Amino acid sequence: MKIVACYSNKGGVGKTATSVNLAHALARAGRRVLLCDLDPQGASGFYFRVKPSKKLGDDRFFTDVKRFTDAIRGSDFDGLDILPANMSFRDFDIFLSRMKNSRSRLKKALKAAQGDYDVVLLDCPPNISALSENVFRASDAVVVPVIPTTLSERTFEQLVDFFRDEKLPRKKIVAFFSMAQATKKLHAETAERLRKAHPKRFVDVTVPFSTEVEKMGVHRAPVATFAKSSPATEAYDALWRAVAERL
Amino acid sequence: MSETFITDGAGGAALRRVGVGKARVVPRGDEERAPATLHDTFDGALAAAGLLLVAAGDGLWLVGLPEGPVHQADAEPGFVQDMNEGPVTAALRPRVPALRRLIPVADATLARQAMALIDDEGKTLVRVAVCAVSTGHGSATVLTLSPLRGYDRPHARLRAALDPLGDPEAALTALRPPAMRYTAKPPVDIAADMPARKAATLLARTHLSVARANERGIVADHDTEFLHDYRVNLRKVRSVVSLFTGVWSEKDTTRLKDRFRALMAPTGPLRDLDVHLLDRDRYMEMVPEALRPGIVALFDDFAKERAAAQAALARHLESDDYAREAAALEALLASAKRLKPGPAADVPVAPFAQDLIWSRYRKVCKRAARIDDATPDEEVHALRIHCKKLRYLMEFFAPVFGPSEVKPLVKALKGLQDTLGAFNDAAVQQDALRAVLERLPRRGAARIEIATSIGALLTVLAQRQAEGRARVASSFAAFDSPETRAGFADLFHRGKEAA
Ligand SMILES: Nc1ncnc2c1ncn2[C@@H]1O[C@H](COP(=O)(O)OP(=O)(O)O)[C@@H](O)[C@H]1O
Ligand SMILES: [Mg+2]
Repeated sequence: MKIVACYSNKGGVGKTATSVNLAHALARAGRRVLLCDLDPQGASGFYFRVKPSKKLGDDRFFTDVKRFTDAIRGSDFDGLDILPANMSFRDFDIFLSRMKNSRSRLKKALKAAQGDYDVVLLDCPPNISALSENVFRASDAVVVPVIPTTLSERTFEQLVDFFRDEKLPRKKIVAFFSMAQATKKLHAETAERLRKAHPKRFVDVTVPFSTEVEKMGVHRAPVATFAKSSPATEAYDALWRAVAERL
Repeated sequence: MSETFITDGAGGAALRRVGVGKARVVPRGDEERAPATLHDTFDGALAAAGLLLVAAGDGLWLVGLPEGPVHQADAEPGFVQDMNEGPVTAALRPRVPALRRLIPVADATLARQAMALIDDEGKTLVRVAVCAVSTGHGSATVLTLSPLRGYDRPHARLRAALDPLGDPEAALTALRPPAMRYTAKPPVDIAADMPARKAATLLARTHLSVARANERGIVADHDTEFLHDYRVNLRKVRSVVSLFTGVWSEKDTTRLKDRFRALMAPTGPLRDLDVHLLDRDRYMEMVPEALRPGIVALFDDFAKERAAAQAALARHLESDDYAREAAALEALLASAKRLKPGPAADVPVAPFAQDLIWSRYRKVCKRAARIDDATPDEEVHALRIHCKKLRYLMEFFAPVFGPSEVKPLVKALKGLQDTLGAFNDAAVQQDALRAVLERLPRRGAARIEIATSIGALLTVLAQRQAEGRARVASSFAAFDSPETRAGFADLFHRGKEAA
């Protein structure tokens, strides 16, 4: 079982879109996937039409493994289960520290609940006040969508610095370009610069800015289900392969 | 865990009407409809297991398994052991007897439709695979519910809503044309106070009709079980005629005996060859490697002979003479009054059966007790015949004495019969092989090779016969237990012991 976090210290960069499509791509490739919707807004659950758990905001939620596994819902796609949104930030932190400290216990619990997952994917909430060290420690890979703009460049540098300062293994970072616009000269230049500065952090995947991805909200389904051969679908396919390679 | 329900043809429509709170059942994608052929063994082994095997343009579909329909593209129905490996073949293997061929039952239409129970946001809660098979005779719908994780409650509610749907057995039977609704052992309702003649007629008529149901399969040569069942049932008719003493006049009884013997006689050669050929692999294992080519040559001959014997029997069964005689016998048994009554005609079945079984049982015990290592083989054979007759009588009359009471006694008897059977089969096979030796061409390398192999087989068979022979005494001792004795006395000698 591998834990993959979709994380960014910036909001609105495509974390949820990535989580949803990455989870779907992995499941289509035969992996058993659990997508944990850690955003109290329930964004990734929304795309899978899974209602948020009624236990929303219940502090004890993640202190009890059984309640954790009972909350899991099967998605409409084979091999892909969802843990709907249902916690506060505080819970999120507790949850991650538990994962970090007793991964084998989590694994055992999931196994007992017929959830012997290959990949547990975390769709992280936006605006975590501080960089959550727990996310990085618990995860085998931290997938980071980066919009190729100057502002994003700076936040990405912060993330890498944080890893360095806290002596976290930087090779866990799997960055890619998100919402890239080919027509914008600035995007191309920024991407070029970032790749050069962090050749080992960036995989060769660029998810373009795509109306198909925007339409996910209308279809309430992963992009591959309604736009099979769109560039976005292909990009998410390339992304899962790149992530799988790093695991 | 998925779960499968069989309903009648209305199952799919009923599913669409089911409401579970705000959730409802909707189709997912288009219906796939294709002409197909329903297959099963003649005796409906698959139907009995709640399964439908359908051959369509895209391959085989096996419908009714708990996990849902299973598909295999590159397989043709036949003997399972001859079918290409694949998911359908694998699922069939433990469910279809090796001796039975999967044959076409009826032309059919296979309609598959994926459906889902969805909630008010369009989320799937339970997947439902709908497979409808219809033939010109009836239709059945097979629903497989696959719950999604975390949606146990809507699943339970959907199940409950579907529970009262139709009778699965009736739906599966309805798919088959009447000629394919074969039961090898139909129940024969014999009541304790029925006159013996009536019971005899009923039994003979039933077994004759079961036998006749196999004629077409023998002619088509689907598998060897048709002839086997045909003979077993004719033998049962003959047992009724010969064992139910006094139900018919002496003259009529003799006439029936002769006519049924004559009816069965043409089937002997083919059955003997079938038995040999079915034993091919066992024979091969019995002889050393070096002699196997001889066995192969021998069996090639058997196969040729069998083809000729089969053709001859098929011609016979399709002849007007045969049809006339079989129909005439059916007519004689059509009513209990056609044949002249004998002195026991009106004796109620219960005491009539008690007398027959009890005296046969005593005969078996007396003869068996005498057997030791010095007893001639003929006496062992005679004992075997008595056991067989006793077994027939017990089975014929089981409904009168309560099947559950009779069953343990039959089981005890069967133990003894198995030993005697092994002894006898070895003897019969030796005789047959000796007959083959005599028919071999006088000269030639093939002759020597085959003769040597037969020699080896005879040795093994003689050994096996001796082994069976040596076990007779201990098998009888096992049969002759105090419980079995008490059981026989209790059921078949009630109230008479004290007297
Ligand atoms: N590749 C893309 N092309 C166009 N729009 C996108 C793309 N990725 C995400 N979006 C849109 O951007 C918004 C924010 O994306 P989201 O995945 O929710 O970001 P985050 O989870 O990082 O906050 C959403 O409206 C989403 O539809
Ligand atoms: Mg989000």
